[in-house]
Amino acid sequence: MKYADYQRQDAAENVKNAYADAQRLQKALNAVVTFVDVEAQLEHLRDVDENAPLYGIPIVLKDNVSTKGIRTTASSRILDNYVPVYDATIVKKLREAGAICIAKASMDELGMGGTNLNAYTGKVNNPYDLERISGGSSGGSAVLVAAGVVPMAIGTDTGDSVRKPAAYCGVVGVKPTYGRISRYGIIPYASSLDHVGYFNTNVNDAAKTLEVLAGRDDLDMTSSSAHIPAFSEQLNSDLHGKRIAVLGNVQDAIQDTRIKEQFTAMIKKLESRGAIVETVYLKKELMEALLPTYYIISNAEAVANHSNLDGIRFGIREAGDNLEEIMIHSRTKGFSSAVRKRFVIGSYSLFVENQEKLLKKAHRVRRVIVDAYRELFASHDAVLAVAAPTTAPYPNESVDEQLSASYLIAENHMLLGNFSGFPSMSVPSGLIDGLPIAINVSAKAFDEQTMFNVAKAIEEESGMVGNCVEVKA
Amino acid sequence: MEQFDDAYFRKLANQIMFDLSEEEIRELKEEFTTLLEQLDLLNRIDTEGVEEMIYPFETPTHYLRKDVSDHVISKEEALRNVASVKEGHVAVPKVVK
Repeated sequence: MKYADYQRQDAAENVKNAYADAQRLQKALNAVVTFVDVEAQLEHLRDVDENAPLYGIPIVLKDNVSTKGIRTTASSRILDNYVPVYDATIVKKLREAGAICIAKASMDELGMGGTNLNAYTGKVNNPYDLERISGGSSGGSAVLVAAGVVPMAIGTDTGDSVRKPAAYCGVVGVKPTYGRISRYGIIPYASSLDHVGYFNTNVNDAAKTLEVLAGRDDLDMTSSSAHIPAFSEQLNSDLHGKRIAVLGNVQDAIQDTRIKEQFTAMIKKLESRGAIVETVYLKKELMEALLPTYYIISNAEAVANHSNLDGIRFGIREAGDNLEEIMIHSRTKGFSSAVRKRFVIGSYSLFVENQEKLLKKAHRVRRVIVDAYRELFASHDAVLAVAAPTTAPYPNESVDEQLSASYLIAENHMLLGNFSGFPSMSVPSGLIDGLPIAINVSAKAFDEQTMFNVAKAIEEESGMVGNCVEVKA
Repeated sequence: MEQFDDAYFRKLANQIMFDLSEEEIRELKEEFTTLLEQLDLLNRIDTEGVEEMIYPFETPTHYLRKDVSDHVISKEEALRNVASVKEGHVAVPKVVK
């Protein structure tokens, strides 16, 4: 369903129906960590203008968004009892816009994963096939939009953690420009790569959502004061004269011929709409360096960011005879194996003797990659690629938990959006064997309008506007 | 190249205040092997004279705010998530014996 469908109905009824749906589907999807009481929020809604952009819209927040008085675990055992004493800036913005949060959604622990298999509450199930993964790390959020429970859910995207689950679940997933949305109150993963993003069922709603969430926030010194256009009013799917680059490296690396052919067919449709399409390449060695560069930077930032999770001032505290033992026991039991292993890798690259060959090298490679990527936009308005090279895999098929050498390019190209900070989104483009596939659309920094416009054209061609799937609970 | 034996990984983990099981150390060894192979992919890229890129944009978005207290939480709020509180303080085992 779309925002407009909800806004034709009674707000309290919408919210209560969404809450009931989320509870009914919990056993099948396992997408919720904490259900949120809606009564007090509905009470507050009386003070909100009925014309507010998200008036009475039920939404879901990823469980790394701090919510005052509501448990926020980031799907980690160490935060299983943590109740923030303040709201994230986006929580305030959403409340002022009239949105009602019905649940906190499951995620890969602390955002560190791409499968949602590594959540303290267990695997999140893909609504198209419950045996398959949702993708992650914002898996719970993606699934609840895909199943038609809510028309919008907040996620975060450090590697492709909104755009990949969006592709696997057949919904629109947006990662705007770095700094466009305040991160104050978001439990971080890697600060130079983290973005707040979100899911909707259609591009028009996605444009509206960004209008609500965007804006400078002095509490997040990386947030931008760039002008916020009226994205939804200016939405225009006319592609005449638009210069679109197709990232040839990704197309060449995809093994599933049906996904390739479907993408090529969509590109032809965009050409027939007047787009000027050209296949472009980044140097192969730059594309192959994306994943190792990401691993070094993100793990180094993560281990530093999470040094405060020690069970002393907040979180689950384990017993110990002294302070050091308490911290070691709390962190050993509090973090999963996967997270502790990533922290070791991060710590290794932060050692003074390793910094030059690892962290500083990765930072320099990041610049070389971003400079080459930016160059593509000197002559193109948007860059397109297949969002994910496969449909949602089964748990034993996903390679996320290994530093796999395979699929370096096809599985990881969306990191370009995090390295550069440029806006990037997934838009559903069709189904293969009844499972969704998607196209990734990226644009210049702060030019989300062009990204939305191209995505809108794709949506019109695919006919997947408002796409949801019925889950048999 | 360093020797990545069990003791090395245990030391790395302990420095960041947690333990690893033998199974986790075995897995980590495998992952380090892959990681080091992937680092070769970085070394193929010439970064001579390239400045490190720390954040996506270099336009300053920060400033020094006035030195006035702002966004203060109460003592009760600060202690609300503490597992053990005694007389208004975070309680831990005696540090000085």
